[in-house]
Amino acid sequence: MSRWRLFPLLLCVGWLGLLPVAAGASLPTLEAPTVPLAYSLQEFRQAVRSGGPGKDGIPSIDRPRFQSVAAADALLAANDRIIGLYLDGEARAYPQRILVWHEIVNDSVAGRPLSITYCPLTGSALGFHRGDAELGVSGRLVNSNLVMYDRITGSEVPQMLGVAIDGPLAGQGLDELRVVWTTWGAWKARHPDTRVLSRETGHVRNYRRDPYGGYAPRRGYYRPQSGRLFPVMAESRRLPPKASVLGFRTRQGAAAVTREALRREAVIELALGDSHYTVIRDAGLDTGWVFHNPRRVAIRVDELTFGPAGVSGGGTEALEPINAFEAMWFAWAAFYPETLLYGAPEDAP
Amino acid sequence: MTALAALRDALVGRPRDAALVGGVGLAYAGLYLWVIGDLGPGGGGGLAARFPAWERVWQARGPLYFEPVGLIEAGPWIWTFSPLNTLLGLVLGWRLRHGTRHCPWRAPGGPLLAALPALLAGGACCAPMVLIWLGLPLAGVLIPVLPWLLPLAALLLLASLGMLARRLAASTS
Repeated sequence: MSRWRLFPLLLCVGWLGLLPVAAGASLPTLEAPTVPLAYSLQEFRQAVRSGGPGKDGIPSIDRPRFQSVAAADALLAANDRIIGLYLDGEARAYPQRILVWHEIVNDSVAGRPLSITYCPLTGSALGFHRGDAELGVSGRLVNSNLVMYDRITGSEVPQMLGVAIDGPLAGQGLDELRVVWTTWGAWKARHPDTRVLSRETGHVRNYRRDPYGGYAPRRGYYRPQSGRLFPVMAESRRLPPKASVLGFRTRQGAAAVTREALRREAVIELALGDSHYTVIRDAGLDTGWVFHNPRRVAIRVDELTFGPAGVSGGGTEALEPINAFEAMWFAWAAFYPETLLYGAPEDAP
Repeated sequence: MTALAALRDALVGRPRDAALVGGVGLAYAGLYLWVIGDLGPGGGGGLAARFPAWERVWQARGPLYFEPVGLIEAGPWIWTFSPLNTLLGLVLGWRLRHGTRHCPWRAPGGPLLAALPALLAGGACCAPMVLIWLGLPLAGVLIPVLPWLLPLAALLLLASLGMLARRLAASTS
């Protein structure tokens, strides 16, 4: 067989060889989601509602620009909310007052493509690895929560679930990374060299105004006692609807810790399913770090160190970190109705 | 007299009418821009303007709701300026004044029907904010239809203007 007759065959083999790379370059997903699914995908799809704006009516930021701490200081107050990310030695802050208008930033940090997402209606911020895909705002909601879509396959993913409920990726979970919901003052104290998302987003918005209210102090839609806007799949009155909880999920279930309990206790031990988890308070960032602690290693609070990458030392060295994020209680309870709740007033002695 | 000339004379034929139509139209346009979110607080006290996004002038954020192209700061106010949203606000404002002033006695349909396009347009923009303020669970049902109120308002505006112009022309000929 001549060399030229072999050419198409070689081309086919080469193309087949490239397939795994192409698949790997799209939105990275986990075949088996690491979160509990309280409902079938069909039930989630039936609970989807239009949020008002159409697809990309709320435009994601796809070419983010960043500025220095000094430049950001002119625009941000110390108690303004930001979403912080620390990855591979790089720190970035995404101001809530910018994300409230865009909800998704398709960014790359240390050469790794990722999406920082924020849903104002559920007060939740999550990070996802995105490969070559971009995430966009579908304009639809489940349990008031942002439904994102993958611009390569069109698959739809509720942000707080992190699992595709529709499209070719249905049933697969996204690869999450930890982001921190904190204040600008707290973040820059921890990360003095952080870069900050600039208002040069490619879109014109009034970034000095939050259309839903404000966080310093909490007002408008963000007031803890205020009502939600959209129907939910499950309701719980154990906390005020917009009370802030720090939640985490595993295949065995979900758990949430109230903000008050987190501020009160340095270490919280939780039994979830047949395993054990430890939540460590980070007073500097006013958040918590969650670890899988099946052997119930005792945490030595005095030896804990809080640095750019989070908490270390004090017995945490061998523990597996678990992603966690803050959210409004009504939304957490709607997605995870069987959730463990730590620190509810009814549990107080 | 043509329909268009009759309409023009009815609206701005006398200086007092022209001033009234202009004033109310501008006030409504300002209110309209405020409720759709183009005009709001947050200005630093000075006067500044920049227009970094002219390429988005035709880009829609929703039905008949367009992306701003520039940002104008004036005193305590910030105006995210979209030429098309502004034009729409001015046209609807002019229509509101025209409808409420002339329709009760010169045109059929009554004042409410005449002002319907402007009211619908206002509803399209105000309603989500009002629902958020009130926290109504009804919002989940209502919000999906709100973006379509604006195109409906524009359609009604054109239809009623055409009808009014024809009737004015007939009554003055």
